[in-house]
Amino acid sequence: MNINRPCGTFDRNYFQAKELYRTPLRKVLLALLIVGMYILPLLIGDYGISILTVICAFTIGMLGLQIITGYCGQISIGHAAFMGVGMYTVAILQRHFGFNFWLALPFAGLVPMFIGMMFGLPALRMKGLYLAFATLAAHFVIVYVISNWRSVTNGTDGMWMKRPGTLFGIDFMKDRNYYLLVLTITIFMTYLATNLSRTKLGRSFVAVRDNDIAAEVMGINIAYTKIMAFGVGCFFAGISGALGGAYYEYVNVEWFGLDDSIWYLGFLVVGGFGSIFGAIAGATVWKVMDEFSTLVTPLAETFLGGAAFYASAAFSLVFYSLIIIVFLVYEPRGIAHRWEMIKRSYRLHPFPY
Amino acid sequence: MEETIKSIVLGLCSGGIYALLAVSYVVIYKSTRVFPFSQAAVLIIGAYIMWYCLIAWSLPIWLGFIITCAGGAILGMFIERAFMRPLVGQPILAPIVVTLCLMLFLRGIGILMGKGDIQGFGESFLPVGAWEVGFLHLPKIQVYAFILCGVLIAALMLFYEKTRTGLGMRVVHEDHVVAQNLGINVKRIFQYSWIISCVIAAIAGMLLGNIQGVGLALDANGLITIAAVLFGGLESFAGAIIAGLAIGILQMLTIAYIAPLLPGETTMMVPFVFLLLILFIKPYGLFGLVRIERL
Repeated sequence: MNINRPCGTFDRNYFQAKELYRTPLRKVLLALLIVGMYILPLLIGDYGISILTVICAFTIGMLGLQIITGYCGQISIGHAAFMGVGMYTVAILQRHFGFNFWLALPFAGLVPMFIGMMFGLPALRMKGLYLAFATLAAHFVIVYVISNWRSVTNGTDGMWMKRPGTLFGIDFMKDRNYYLLVLTITIFMTYLATNLSRTKLGRSFVAVRDNDIAAEVMGINIAYTKIMAFGVGCFFAGISGALGGAYYEYVNVEWFGLDDSIWYLGFLVVGGFGSIFGAIAGATVWKVMDEFSTLVTPLAETFLGGAAFYASAAFSLVFYSLIIIVFLVYEPRGIAHRWEMIKRSYRLHPFPY
Repeated sequence: MEETIKSIVLGLCSGGIYALLAVSYVVIYKSTRVFPFSQAAVLIIGAYIMWYCLIAWSLPIWLGFIITCAGGAILGMFIERAFMRPLVGQPILAPIVVTLCLMLFLRGIGILMGKGDIQGFGESFLPVGAWEVGFLHLPKIQVYAFILCGVLIAALMLFYEKTRTGLGMRVVHEDHVVAQNLGINVKRIFQYSWIISCVIAAIAGMLLGNIQGVGLALDANGLITIAAVLFGGLESFAGAIIAGLAIGILQMLTIAYIAPLLPGETTMMVPFVFLLLILFIKPYGLFGLVRIERL
């Protein structure tokens, strides 16, 4: 019995039990949210659209990490690198093979998926911290390969990417239309991730997270489940990277350093583990903070003068890590949990619990 | 052949610092069961403290050494009290994320301390020059650093073997609950572990800064050492020392044989490929405990 369900809604048949959203009010609210997200670019300027596009792209990546870490409990310290593999897959396919964006997009998911499964292979023998080391090693190996395989990846100079051209009369070179494309893909991927947690695979992810020995006793193939978690998560990361890179029409290996991988993990904590809303909240907080820190930089220049250059570099490191640590200490289940608490206290209003 | 022997001897020398660093990881991992990724950045802090003492304030070397150790101790005490203690008993993910974030936090502090530049010690605080033994060319900096690392590790082992606190720490290594029941203050032991580890890391950072220049790039050494810790086994001091030396040798062999073939920072990449190989072949390392779990 789910305690978070609104009072008075009961399942009378299997179709009701399968529903994602049970009450008419929630369905209407969801529809309003989606319609609102589509209408929003008409109301805000280019700056707002750029923030929204980046948030949407990173939400997909965060959903991938949510699947690996939040659902399956495997710690990945290399998620940004897999995102980079997605970016570079599209860029390489466009540059060397002349693919267009639409053709390259599935590969942007599949290539990181296979690489992620490869680095997830140590899951055959161990778990927890040891697997985290494997992903850390994956991060360094991937970054090394990308920055040194110059004939293919153009080294540390980065590569140009092309956005998708016109499709059905919609010109995706315009930021507004490109945002609508990213939003559509984000909604689709969110739907996929939401439904994944209700499939056999998704439930075995949760079983492995909660207690992998018990899961094995119940007949779940742990190694397969963990490797699939890495595969699916890296698929999401790759798609996210492809969309994000195509927005800037440029990729560079410096965009996914070790700190980005750590921020991925950290802001997932801020958002909340084990829920789709947590992933979205984490990505939103991260990118809004990023914008905030770029806004602070000119301010720092007026106060600190020549010292501003390094102060702004240190600002995001110190500030973000403190936020994440404070969340872990005081609200380890993140914004998603806090949101559930607010909803619950609204439902039970006159009573405290 | 001559080249190989040269690489191995030089690798042993530089491996001393890796061994010391690996010990600093193991000290914390053994007693708190938390893997301290943050030690990679403590290196930077230690190196910058020494740089401030010697260059900015022009203090004598022995005073700089003491201040660096004290700085490391205060840092360790602060980290344990402010960040790690609230997380005791949390699932494994929380401490990992906190130590990773601490690494970036300390890196940010390092940027503020160093004003974003790479600093040099000007003149090395250890004797410069080199000994020529046969065809070997031994830089004195490396040899003295190696000897200092050896002395420190020996002192730490003596502390564990001979003192009452060391005995308590060894009990905590075995089991937290049993130690608590025996009347040992486990939280105090955690704090000691962090202090010892941060002092060691600060000294290692100082020595590395002397060799490589004081800058943010120092934390690469700490990350490479993770491969050494894993190779030796997370719970073993002997393993950490052997594996630290092995990583040093591996690095020198890489410079001699692999670096000419491949472009870029092979010294950074090869230890991690090595780490992946260990994870596939012998995941619990040379002397690590193979944990048998049950429901």
